[in-house]
Amino acid sequence: LALYFHIGEREEKCIIEDIPSDTLVVGRYLSMLYDDLTHAVTKVTGNVLLSKLYGPQGTFTFTSYISGEHIICFQSNSTRFVVIAGSKLRIHLDIRVGEHFLDESAIQAKDKVNEVNIRLEHLIEQIHHVTREQEYEREREEKFRKTSEETNSNILWWAIAQTLILISVGIWQIKSLRDFFISKKLV
Amino acid sequence: MLLRGYGTDGLWGWLTLLLVACAAWASEITFELPDNAKQCFYEEIVQGTKCTLEFQVITGGHYDVDCQLEGPDGSVLYKEMKKQYDSFTFTASRNGTYKFCFSNEFSTFTHKTVYFDFQVGEDPPLFPSENRATALTQMESACVSIHEALKSVIDYQTHFRLREAQGRSRAEDLNTRVAYWSIGEAIILLVVSVGQVFLLKSFFSDKRTTTTHITS
Repeated sequence: LALYFHIGEREEKCIIEDIPSDTLVVGRYLSMLYDDLTHAVTKVTGNVLLSKLYGPQGTFTFTSYISGEHIICFQSNSTRFVVIAGSKLRIHLDIRVGEHFLDESAIQAKDKVNEVNIRLEHLIEQIHHVTREQEYEREREEKFRKTSEETNSNILWWAIAQTLILISVGIWQIKSLRDFFISKKLV
Repeated sequence: MLLRGYGTDGLWGWLTLLLVACAAWASEITFELPDNAKQCFYEEIVQGTKCTLEFQVITGGHYDVDCQLEGPDGSVLYKEMKKQYDSFTFTASRNGTYKFCFSNEFSTFTHKTVYFDFQVGEDPPLFPSENRATALTQMESACVSIHEALKSVIDYQTHFRLREAQGRSRAEDLNTRVAYWSIGEAIILLVVSVGQVFLLKSFFSDKRTTTTHITS
């Protein structure tokens, strides 16, 4: 758990993971400074998926049931380190996406064949993850394409609409002024 | 996300595993950087380890961010302002905590989403050759080459995903901007034209009353 960052008291820091559905996410974290309780929340586009009060160190796991942006937030509920003014809580973090075979102690195989077998299964798992990511990418690209086409047709139709408004308002202006001047006996 | 593999063979294997496990690490995090904010990350690195920091801005404003990497003695190893994407490799010259910061302090109201990938050390070999009597078998070599290929596939996939996210973000911005501006322009057009006619009419009405006033 090497990478860490600071978090202030009651401050919420979030990490975004844009992942396809059926993907396992495993996060390990460690907070240093007394034994503070840290609250970890996982949200998907507004819906809270997982909200737990964790101890100073732990692992959280969840499998995404929908593809999209998952937000993992950390917040400290403790007030104990207020005593030391200006001190910040240190949070070590390690998040892994898509790996099922995390248990490295299981990989120490007794014989060659088993070792290669486990290695192969890990590779197959990786390939499945790559495939799922590609599917998700296809969906996102489709959304991108739809947005671009919508922009294109928006520009076209609004340009036509504006031209029509311009012409019709111009005609109305002339007609209205002409009638006005005729009624005022200036023409 | 990183594929890691360790083969072990007795205590010596375990020691190698432990040492090697400490040496290789990769963290990739996507986070949101609010306007006028600075976010720093710290990592303890052993001397002599080759590290790579790569970052990219995915959404927000002009898609740029300031980045700074400092060594344990405070020396600035890398400093760039308003960069959209960059990759920086360095070898740790000292033991200690290295700090890298992303700053959005130059922006007044745009949030930025930043992705970074900090890789420490090289990946350990899949089948460590410490306690080997023979060279890698064909199965093992096949595994190693598939592993390498998959690593590069995953790398490309990540890059593509980020670029696509950036492109999509720009397209959505463009779409909303076009919609709002077009509606706004149409309304302005109507209001100005109708207003012109009534204003003109009002000029003539006033003149009429003044001329009648003068003659009477």
